[in-house]
Amino acid sequence: MSAVTATIAEDKMEARTKPATPNEGARLGFRLTLPAQILVLFISAFPLLMQLYISVTDWSPLSGIGWWNAWEMWNSFANYTDLAADTRFWSALQRTAIVMLVCVPAEFLLGLALATLFADDFPGKRIFYSILLMPMMVVPAVAGYMFFMLFQSGGPVNDILSRIVGGPVTIAWLSDPTLALIAVMVADIWQWTPLMFLILLAGLVGVPEDQMKAATLLGANAWQRFTTIVLPKMKTIIIIALAIRVIENFKIFDTLYIMTGGGPGVATETISVYIYKVTTQDLIWGYVAAIALAILIVLSIVAVYAMKRMAKGREVPV
Amino acid sequence: MKRSVPFEIFRYAAILAAMAVTLVPILWMVSMAFKPIGEWSATGADLTWWPRQPTLANFQFVFGHSTNDLIVALDHTAVKPILSSLLSAVFGTVIAMSAGTAAAYGLSRFGSGQNLPLALIQLRLFPPMAVMIPVMIMWAFLNLNDTWWGLALIYGIVTLPFAFWLMKTFFDDLPREIEEAALVEGCSRLRVFTRITLPMMRAPLASAALFVFILNWSDYLIALLLTTREWVTIPVYMASLSSSMTGQLYGAKAALGLIAAVPPVIMGIAIQRHLVRGLTFGALKQ
Repeated sequence: MSAVTATIAEDKMEARTKPATPNEGARLGFRLTLPAQILVLFISAFPLLMQLYISVTDWSPLSGIGWWNAWEMWNSFANYTDLAADTRFWSALQRTAIVMLVCVPAEFLLGLALATLFADDFPGKRIFYSILLMPMMVVPAVAGYMFFMLFQSGGPVNDILSRIVGGPVTIAWLSDPTLALIAVMVADIWQWTPLMFLILLAGLVGVPEDQMKAATLLGANAWQRFTTIVLPKMKTIIIIALAIRVIENFKIFDTLYIMTGGGPGVATETISVYIYKVTTQDLIWGYVAAIALAILIVLSIVAVYAMKRMAKGREVPV
Repeated sequence: MKRSVPFEIFRYAAILAAMAVTLVPILWMVSMAFKPIGEWSATGADLTWWPRQPTLANFQFVFGHSTNDLIVALDHTAVKPILSSLLSAVFGTVIAMSAGTAAAYGLSRFGSGQNLPLALIQLRLFPPMAVMIPVMIMWAFLNLNDTWWGLALIYGIVTLPFAFWLMKTFFDDLPREIEEAALVEGCSRLRVFTRITLPMMRAPLASAALFVFILNWSDYLIALLLTTREWVTIPVYMASLSSSMTGQLYGAKAALGLIAAVPPVIMGIAIQRHLVRGLTFGALKQ
């Protein structure tokens, strides 16, 4: 009975909200979405075609002809075959992967540990929380400069170390290939652990407390509660948090470039730094277009996958 | 749940350690910004964690006042970079928020633009570096290189995904009854949107705008590629100070870094409640 009433009420609602002219809503919707559609088209369709076109030529801004005449410099896909053999590109890609494989898990584990500590209330929670979030709001280029100063051979990091070991420490962090990479990763972990902490904490407080209590009564210890209740409940959130960091970490540029400029040599040259250097120093834009397109195609596939995950995530009550 | 005393001790110890790691880099820069030139690169026993003789000389220097200690002359002062950062970030936010809010409403209420969610996620996914060649060519063609309005346009596009997704989840959360009541009263749908929905959404709109502003203000790479001299932004200007012949201008750069870092940190704390939603494209709410 009540179900029937509800249906009738819904029908009435439908009738009431029906627009005066049948397509008013659709037309307004079209107009409202138009500016965004134009901006997306402006930044995707034409630039992609341009990129595709330039990527099969030797064109550079110094070649003296407009980009639309680049066909005169057609090089029959040489850029793509060059790319396959470009050791500097592959080692930059490998370095980007190393940075990602160190930074993202480190940020995740530290963030999760912090989130666990913040799961229930304690005095001072709000102020600690606000301060711990600060690094992710610092302009990345400025964060890069902070760590550039910290890692100077006469800087505070070495000062702290020398106090610990009791003798003068003068490690030249940023001029040693391995140490420079470590320094860059430390900066990234410092800046983005708060993001993991923030997202994971949001997920952690969504874990139902009664289930935790029930598990405690049944004799589950903290670790068992964590692995059997908390982790499964947080699965989607963890995937989202990791996906965000993987995507952003892949782009790593600002902090790193300010700290080391990709150096010493190419020791900290990640994919973005490599493309930047080829764009601004070597100026072979036809080749850059080829690299960029190759990356875009791979990432597009990832995007579709991530999108499906995101859609799933929204169904999780948090 | 009641926790044991050892756990509480462990918790505070761990949090204090995390706080120290969080704050040392920030405090070092703050301290450096107020150090006189003699203390900039003092090492070993002379290294000072807090300026012995705090001074505002670094700030005066970047704003064009020559000080006795610094004989370097600046090509141009920090005034224009600050203006450039402000104008490009503000107008970039206006572009992203206008287009994003309208499109989010269109999709949330009328189902228009079904392609936008995925298209905008993809836009966010790409490293800016991988799409900058065509952008640099287009911007040169449109005479937008090295202008704040050129930066504002690209910022508006780059942060559109965040504006759109944030506002979409806010609209999705908003009960439709009020809008429906207004429709019954005879308002047009456009009027309902501008006169009823938008005023109700003032607080979410403000949070989303602040969020987008922080992202625009934080950019370095795009400004590095699209501005060369006239309209460089604060981070680009800050980085360029190091190439002067007197070596690193530690204090001056730290002063600029401080100027750049303060606005987003304050704004970020103000919109803490919405950070999770913003950063996860609305997939998570707090």
